Amino acid sequence: MEEDDHLPKPASAAAEDAASSEDLDSALQRKRAAMIERLSNLHQSRLARKPDSESNSTSSFLSRFSDSKSSIESTLSRIRQTADPHSNPTLKSELDNVSMSIADLEKLVAENTFSLPSYEVRTCLKTITDLKQIVEQVTCEVIPRKKFSFKNKSAKKITTQNDIVSEVPIRVENNTANVESENSGFRALDSPGFRGKENEVLVKEFNRGNDEEIREFVLSDLRGCDVRLMGCVRALFVHKLIDCKVYVGPVFGSVLIEEVTNCVFVLASHQIRIHQAKGCDFYLRARSRPIIEDSNGVRFAPYCLKYDGIEKDLEEANLGEETGNWSNVDDFKWLRAVQSPNWSILPENERLDTVDISNRDPKI
Amino acid sequence: MGLLSIIRKIKRKEKEMRILMVGLDNSGKTTIVLKINGEDTSVISPTLGFNIKTITYQKYTLNIWDVGGQKTIRSYWRNYFEQTDGLVWVVDSSDLRRLDDCRYELHNLLKEERLSGASLLIFANKQDIQGALSPDEIAKVLNLEAMDNSRHWRIVGCSAYTGEGLLEGFDWLVQDVASRIYMLD
Ligand SMILES: Nc1nc2c(ncn2[C@@H]2O[C@H](COP(=O)(O)OP(=O)(O)OP(=O)(O)O)[C@@H](O)[C@H]2O)c(=O)[nH]1
Ligand SMILES: [Mg+2]
Repeated sequence: MEEDDHLPKPASAAAEDAASSEDLDSALQRKRAAMIERLSNLHQSRLARKPDSESNSTSSFLSRFSDSKSSIESTLSRIRQTADPHSNPTLKSELDNVSMSIADLEKLVAENTFSLPSYEVRTCLKTITDLKQIVEQVTCEVIPRKKFSFKNKSAKKITTQNDIVSEVPIRVENNTANVESENSGFRALDSPGFRGKENEVLVKEFNRGNDEEIREFVLSDLRGCDVRLMGCVRALFVHKLIDCKVYVGPVFGSVLIEEVTNCVFVLASHQIRIHQAKGCDFYLRARSRPIIEDSNGVRFAPYCLKYDGIEKDLEEANLGEETGNWSNVDDFKWLRAVQSPNWSILPENERLDTVDISNRDPKI
Repeated sequence: MGLLSIIRKIKRKEKEMRILMVGLDNSGKTTIVLKINGEDTSVISPTLGFNIKTITYQKYTLNIWDVGGQKTIRSYWRNYFEQTDGLVWVVDSSDLRRLDDCRYELHNLLKEERLSGASLLIFANKQDIQGALSPDEIAKVLNLEAMDNSRHWRIVGCSAYTGEGLLEGFDWLVQDVASRIYMLD
């Protein structure tokens, strides 16, 4: 860069701004100048990466990348060729290691992306995706998926309206109300929903017969309740449920479930995210892969809900067909190829039959 | 304004920008990126890791980094900070309960030195949902006025579902980044 490209001193920058009320503005100008200097340095460093050095660092990165890629591939093909995979007790941990190497590789790419040409970045990402797929294949080939778990789940009992669970009073917390009173105080932040109920049958029909808009709905702080939502809703938020049964028609958007214990959910939705669930069964239909995080003892089965007109509702929400995604669960706390210990497929002989919520019979 | 003459001289040959999209899980980042790129948004799984999209926008090439926002993987966000020109923070305006988390994570991010020069666009997403807070309300709850004075920022209401507001947001971001790092021609 030429001499006149040097940044001006903050004082002169401030002086140029005629309208400035000195102190505040010069501080501001100093900050701006500092920011511009940073950007300029950044720019210089980008320019300084001459084609030569760039291709050097690129090629050294690429050789590192391809080294670990081929080592991963050779491990995988060795695993594949093991004569009797089922008799090899170390296979599982070997596959785990491979998955971790792939994760490291992904991280390496992420860390280097700013200095890599975009074509290389994309190629590397593609490679990583492919490797992950191979791991999945190999895993399926050599380790039969743990389909059934016979963990004792007998603790779950059916709560009727007579079973008053009252030792622990339900705390009704309303975080949003706090946000509101502390920071804004401009309107009541209440989405429609069921909150703070105990041992009740809660029924809601959306958009059926009336022209209420499809919108979001909240279930929070419920204990021992039987919740039936019919019709289409755009988003569903579920928070702090214990011993509940929740039956829901199509959600044309996402369901976010947090802090639920010992519950049964029957849900159809475009996206399903489950956080901090313990000992719950989920009967799902989903357009994308359901995910769990910080959960354990959760089991999955296909959707099994009925009410008058559900087919039409599902159709309209693009959930008319079974996708098989109910079993494609990703556990964000278990980013490895082998089956997560936190969830399992609900054995067929333990599954609910189709649940019909058409009539308002309090007991199903 | 005297600064312009200096900015003018900071000019890159290639008109590339690096845009980082972050925000809590479920806020709609991936949906926004796919929508703006004209792709199908009906089947999107929560992002495990990250996606990169290269989009030609006006006369610029945007490298958009869409990073997963699930709690477990938020700690990886910092791997993506380097050389970020534009930062997009996406908010689910209908998720009232988690606005506290949202504010916390945003202010945490803004402390990051490597992001200090980046223009900040806040998308108050999901405006199509009836109970969603307006952009003004989101700005208040997130305490945006408390941000460092030197930060270039703007909040825009949008819906990745209808597409409303997306172009307005990206227009501002691209113009703001461009006016800082490219010669204005
Ligand atoms: N109604 C409505 N739903 C939206 C909108 N934007 C996104 N969604 C839905 O919100 C859910 C989450 O969207 P994603 O794009 O996967 O969210 P994300 O921020 O990428 O989430 P992570 O990848 O986990 O960080 C999906 O079910 C989307 O269909 C919107 O503007 N309106
Ligand atoms: Mg995503």
